[in-house]
Amino acid sequence: MKQDLPPLTEGVYYILLSLYEPRHGYGMIQFTDEMTSGRVKLGAGTIYGAIKTLLDRGWIKAFEEDGRKKEYIITDKGKEVIEYEILRLRELFDNGIRITGGSTK
Amino acid sequence: MNEKLTKFRFFLDYEKEEDWVNDMSKQGWHLISFNFNYFTFEKGEPGQYIYRNEMLSGLGAKDQSKEYIEFLQQSGVELVQRRFNWAYFRKNTSDGPFELYTDTSSKITYLNRIYTLFLFLMLVNLLSALTNLTGLFDYQIILGSCNLTVAILLFIPFVKVKKRRDHLKKNLDLFND
Repeated sequence: MKQDLPPLTEGVYYILLSLYEPRHGYGMIQFTDEMTSGRVKLGAGTIYGAIKTLLDRGWIKAFEEDGRKKEYIITDKGKEVIEYEILRLRELFDNGIRITGGSTK
Repeated sequence: MNEKLTKFRFFLDYEKEEDWVNDMSKQGWHLISFNFNYFTFEKGEPGQYIYRNEMLSGLGAKDQSKEYIEFLQQSGVELVQRRFNWAYFRKNTSDGPFELYTDTSSKITYLNRIYTLFLFLMLVNLLSALTNLTGLFDYQIILGSCNLTVAILLFIPFVKVKKRRDHLKKNLDLFND
């Protein structure tokens, strides 16, 4: 089943990574911003939709309410997905380096 | 109390409207409320805010958009005003770039929402025009003409939204996001 998973979007990839610790929406945006040195900026509308979809898929779940802010955490299923994605990325990376010899910059 | 300014503007393209609101902000006039085509601005520091408008999802599902707005507010986005399913949001320019939708797939989902709404309203007006224009009473001619005008006016943004959406969909052939 996992073999059939299409590549994750950058946004989903970083949202899942950010949820190895419980975070609310704004925390996911900040985490992604920091991890990519500002390259990937997630819009609040984008992240809201992604959270809904990830909850439906069972890749993340609600953690506990921190005041009025909802926190989320990655599920085991979500971890499987991201581990598979990392393998896929490694394959892309290794093949790329092998053929091109790496970036000259 | 700061100086206020009310302007009447009619835009067929909601993105042009957003551009105009942002231009006003750059000149120091910040949108604080709107009522259909009347926009009220308050004098402030030029370029202090970035504005975004949005067609919220589902007129019937009010609770869901309330939850969405709360989510945005918790993420540091300020709600300027909401009327029906049309809303304006803003953020301080000093907080960096401000977009509600940042990747291709969520942009397409959003455009689909607008596309469906325009299509629905257009069809309702066309159907109504057809019924009225073939009707027996004089007043139906006027009603029918109004319906037809609305349908034609809606057709322009409808085509624009469709073009935008199709362009983004083409990007997905090459790019993952």
